[in-house]
Amino acid sequence: MALGVAIAAVIVAAPFLLGEGYELHLLIISAIFTILASGLSLIVGFGGLLSLGHAAFFGIGAYTSALLFLKLGVPMWGGLIAAAVMGAFAAFLIGALVLRVRGNRFIITTVAFAEIMRLIAVNSVDLTRGQMGLAGVRAPELTIPGLGTIDFSSKTAFYFLAVAIAALCVATVARIVRSPIGWGLAALRENERLGESLGVGAFRHAMLAFVVGGFFAGIAGSLNAHYMNFVSPDVFAFSVTTTVLVMVVIGGKTSIAGPVIGAVLFTILPELLRIADQFRLVFLGVVLLVTILVFPKGLVELWQRWAARNSRPLPSRTPAE
Amino acid sequence: MIDLIPQFVFNGLLIGAGYALIAVGLTMIFGIMNIANFAHGEFYMLGGCIAFFFTSKLGFNYLLAVPATVAVVAVLGLLLERTIFRRLSKQDAMSSVLATVALAMILENGALILWGPQPQPIPTGFSPMPVKLGSIFTTEPRLFAVAVTFGALLLVHLFLNRSLLGSAMRATFQQPEAAALVGIPIHRVHAATFGLGAGLAALGGALLGAIFFVHPASGGQATLKAFIVVILGGLGSISGAMVGGIILGLAESLGTLVSSAYKDAIGFVLVILILLYRPDGLFKRS
Repeated sequence: MALGVAIAAVIVAAPFLLGEGYELHLLIISAIFTILASGLSLIVGFGGLLSLGHAAFFGIGAYTSALLFLKLGVPMWGGLIAAAVMGAFAAFLIGALVLRVRGNRFIITTVAFAEIMRLIAVNSVDLTRGQMGLAGVRAPELTIPGLGTIDFSSKTAFYFLAVAIAALCVATVARIVRSPIGWGLAALRENERLGESLGVGAFRHAMLAFVVGGFFAGIAGSLNAHYMNFVSPDVFAFSVTTTVLVMVVIGGKTSIAGPVIGAVLFTILPELLRIADQFRLVFLGVVLLVTILVFPKGLVELWQRWAARNSRPLPSRTPAE
Repeated sequence: MIDLIPQFVFNGLLIGAGYALIAVGLTMIFGIMNIANFAHGEFYMLGGCIAFFFTSKLGFNYLLAVPATVAVVAVLGLLLERTIFRRLSKQDAMSSVLATVALAMILENGALILWGPQPQPIPTGFSPMPVKLGSIFTTEPRLFAVAVTFGALLLVHLFLNRSLLGSAMRATFQQPEAAALVGIPIHRVHAATFGLGAGLAALGGALLGAIFFVHPASGGQATLKAFIVVILGGLGSISGAMVGGIILGLAESLGTLVSSAYKDAIGFVLVILILLYRPDGLFKRS
């Protein structure tokens, strides 16, 4: 509880301590990646489905929101909802195709789908301007009667918006995981046949996790587009997927806090180390490999091991008595 | 337009044979070890980059550089199997796939650091002048690549069907437990599979790198193309991967006649159609 209050205080105080500079920018990016990572953890961690196409839903959200704004003048509020719906719908279509047969076929289809979306974004020059990308995707304003207008093109305002949405997404994942749906997902992940025999529909549960992940990724895409004011086919890049995957797996794929820690850590850490992009990705790859080999449940597992070691001397905890 | 078709068919065969070389190893690793290897295209990339290093930095003859490259990458494959994938074989399948993703990140970006982002041609010593075969224009490196690739595919086929190790691989593929029971050293079969797969992909890289360019970031696309081929041919089917490679090469080459912008999308659309209607690949008899 005290930890929660302290974290909340730090989050609220951050923009006033850091100012409108680069540090705040990193926190906004962390919040956007938190949304992506918590959605992907539902699919990969809790659902046990390795999706390597998460960038597809992120990109679909980004282009949906940007095109609505540029072509039809719809502000981000409408775009955000449309992006989430489009992300979820795309996930539903892919899920309907391959979620009945999970496993490697699912993994490969998710990759293929993201690549098809990237090729469409590159080649539909009339709509997307291809590699040049779409510029001028402005952040919205919000007029509250009696209070005035908030302009979200200021970093501080956008920071609070992104953090609020990220918190909402993380809370939703936590709610799902602790509901009967989450128990069903866990049952299917641990032993699919046993789960099915108890009446837990594998397809239905997998689909739900996948669609929620797509929904969140669409939201993250829309926020990213309006924050950066720019969208290019790079939003569909495989490296987007692998970056989010690194955050989820290293943070801890079957925990609520793990992906959040991963998202913040792996946005800020490479910047602190001030290393070139290639070195950053080699570094991420090595950390990912070590994590898989040494502590497959992620950083959260290290913490739990440490906590368990410290609580072991208490005799009242031993069930043998 | 019509008179161009033989030319496009020839180009398609060349690219397709290269795809087949990469895909055969990928499908073997998948069938025998049950790992979807997302680092497989990186072996192809390394093949090109190491062959470039041997020829232009160490002054090797190209004909010597190709087998040397294949040997280096095959040993790398063996070592990776021993150090990483053997340790992960007891964990869930997702760990192995994630490890290949991590490996791909390390190899691709490590190669970018070592070789730089500039695409470079491998010097071969072949004449750059075009060669005319009937209505087809080609070059010596292309003819060499086609001949070596088809020769290598034939050798792989003979190896798997005639040699003892090849039989052991096929047995492990069909029934790992039974294969272990009759005394087949499963771990050695796995290591050999990984080494052979990596070496074949490197051969593709060393051959195609002499025709196109060597680029450290080319591994990701190669991985994706190889997965398309493997799905066309049926996951785990070696002859399927060979034929699937040729089909994808021809489809892309002839697809250029229709729309060059979307030629790379043809494969991905094929994959989704196949997964929908023929999930076991094109050639599986139901």
